Amino acid sequence: MIDQRVYEMFRDIGRDMYVHNLVSSHGGNISVRFGDRILIKRRGAMLGRLKPHDIIETGLEKNDSGVALASTELIVHRAIYKATPALAVVHAHPRHAIALSLTRDEIVPIDNEGSYLLKKVPVVSVEFASGTKQMADAIADALRSYKIVFLRGHGSFATGQTLDEAFQWTDALEEAAEIIMYAKMLNEEMIEYRRMSDSYSKW
Amino acid sequence: MNGWMGKLLVIDLASGSVTTQPLDMEMARLFIGGRGLGARLLWDLVGPEVEPLSPENVLIIATGPLTGTGFQTSNRFSVTTKSPLTGTVLDANSGGTWGMRFKRAGYDAMIIKGRAPNPVWIEIKPDSVTLHDASHLWGLTASQVSEALGQDKNRRNVLCIGPAGENLVRFAAIMNDVARSAARGGPGAVMGSKNLKAIVVEGDLRVDFADKDRFRFIQYEATKMLKANPVTSQALPEFGTPVMMNILNGVGALPTRNFQQSDFEHAEAISGEAITERILVDNDACWACPIACTRVTKTSRKQGEGPEYETAWSFGASCGISDLEAIAEANYLCNDLGLDTISAGATIACAMELSERGLLDSDLRFGRADLLLPTVEAIAYRDGLGDLLAEGSYRLAERCGAPELSMSVKKLEMPAYDPRGMQGQGLLFATSNRGACHMRGNMLGLEVLGLPKLIDRLQVQGKAGYVILNQNSSSVLDSLVACKFAHIAVADEYFARALTALTGIEYPTGEMLRAGERIWTLERLYNIREGFTRADDTLPPRLLTEPATGNSAGEVSHLEPMLDEYYRARGWDSNGVPRPAKLAELGLAELVEGVL
Repeated sequence: MIDQRVYEMFRDIGRDMYVHNLVSSHGGNISVRFGDRILIKRRGAMLGRLKPHDIIETGLEKNDSGVALASTELIVHRAIYKATPALAVVHAHPRHAIALSLTRDEIVPIDNEGSYLLKKVPVVSVEFASGTKQMADAIADALRSYKIVFLRGHGSFATGQTLDEAFQWTDALEEAAEIIMYAKMLNEEMIEYRRMSDSYSKW
Repeated sequence: MNGWMGKLLVIDLASGSVTTQPLDMEMARLFIGGRGLGARLLWDLVGPEVEPLSPENVLIIATGPLTGTGFQTSNRFSVTTKSPLTGTVLDANSGGTWGMRFKRAGYDAMIIKGRAPNPVWIEIKPDSVTLHDASHLWGLTASQVSEALGQDKNRRNVLCIGPAGENLVRFAAIMNDVARSAARGGPGAVMGSKNLKAIVVEGDLRVDFADKDRFRFIQYEATKMLKANPVTSQALPEFGTPVMMNILNGVGALPTRNFQQSDFEHAEAISGEAITERILVDNDACWACPIACTRVTKTSRKQGEGPEYETAWSFGASCGISDLEAIAEANYLCNDLGLDTISAGATIACAMELSERGLLDSDLRFGRADLLLPTVEAIAYRDGLGDLLAEGSYRLAERCGAPELSMSVKKLEMPAYDPRGMQGQGLLFATSNRGACHMRGNMLGLEVLGLPKLIDRLQVQGKAGYVILNQNSSSVLDSLVACKFAHIAVADEYFARALTALTGIEYPTGEMLRAGERIWTLERLYNIREGFTRADDTLPPRLLTEPATGNSAGEVSHLEPMLDEYYRARGWDSNGVPRPAKLAELGLAELVEGVL
């Protein structure tokens, strides 16, 4: 039985992700870890319209009937929880960041907020980039060292203690990506305002 | 060697021998330093047959790799021993300057064994360690002995006990830099039992870095976090930790009159705002700390340091007292006599309730501010009723036939958060390895302050995961050794990157927290070896049955379901014993073979 407070947390973050253009109608997924259990969005449910029955509970290690209903990315979420101290995972398809991921191996924000919060977001590339073990392992491994990473051409995976926190990294990344694109479009030399800015790419 | 100094000092007070041994680097990698290193050494040195106040107990004083590096709040050290109050593994840590100086004398840790035949003090310099006669110092207060031994913040730092430690008060503190303390659980009594009055350190050796440029960049980014966070940049500097008083009272989680209520009608009078307005003289800071939360205060009669939030609560709301000057002076007295202010105030509150119920023959009553100072003094010198209170609230209440009136877990008095209004905090207190403690993880950030994000404080489902993460993180911070207040603004990730840049050993955030889990689990195993069980992971019955008041009105702690979830999430069985698979995962299986 899902606590009403927990449902409201899923509903609100899911809605915000859709409103912020971080996912299309049925894209993306979110989950939380409660001890040895995972609560994750139901496969096919719309993040912008989550109902209580759209939150599926299943095991972190062991399968049960919940896996028949859970998001196709359950394998990735499980791998992340096993590899990191995360208690929440947000997976989104932020459009500007996806575009940037097609041309670079890391997204290094140039705006103040992005630099302050994220420093650097590595871009990971795998052959089968949806719901595979290969993808799960690559993402989980990258998240050992970063709180948000990007799967090239696919989307972001962010971790946090809460959904709220993981959502913040996701939204901050998309804002940073949009600003990078605007700055590129200006095609003018950037005036560096950050001390030790070269160090961000070594984060 | 990067990060660590690579050397342990071993002093046997019985024989007077002083030796050094190399730091086991694999042990350091796995347990980091400070609390973790202390727990690992204690596991080998002090078994269940050892009485805490016997010569066979040891006192381990350890710094961590971050200590002395200049990283924010990297001034701390920890003291590990078997607690005379709880019988559990005990780590208490302290700030100031002493820890940095000890490390710069060239040591990561010292192990003090045995009991000196007569009082001694130890002088440690990079090229010498000397034991001196301390007969003339015995009986002096912390400020007196610090002055006598030449305390100089910038050159020579004194760590000592006051009369409470000499008199084996079970919650006696070890004091350093005059008014800093490693206090909880009674390490001062262990030091007193060894006839050791003081340890003086001098040193200016430097810590080596694997990648200093990278370290400094991480430090620079951490500075931004501290400056931007209103708790570390505004609230703590302006109001100190007592800024929490009105906030906790506002959510109905301020324990009052020995936890009979969870809100205090006079909270405003003892709040951070009141302290700043009425008695604050100046701020002070530990070495390398930009926060400067220390309160230098002055009453109409005296001047001293404090009160911190916990102290303003323990002598204030907990005792039903709103006289700010009496609270501050009780704090000054505890500092000078060497007492843990939380246990002192909470034990007096317990005595007040026992007296009001006719179970203890004393004049103590809630609100009797006039009795605070004489009672604190009586405890430190074990004078009259003070002798009974010096045993702590549990033994006091048990002696009066009402142990349930001791607001403690594993005999350690609970700090200033009511678990009925903060469900996760209750689980944290119940499972803390040294007894009820807000410094072994703290749910204040998540459940009240919204750090990093606010979660529902009354929610039960899922709380175990948050508590575990906080506990593991606290184990790491206490091992680095860094201050919890820096962690308010600076996330685990920054500490992990700093540790990597400092030592050259890769510590991704998860791996660093895994070390925290290893430390927590070893402490748990230590307690199991001492005979502790699931039955000890509980809260006073009052919190499970009597509803809270104020803005948590009607709430009780829902401990049992959270405890079940906690054990599962930790990989422990339903009795709270770590499963073999978890021990293997943490690299502890071989160490504890044959023990469980």
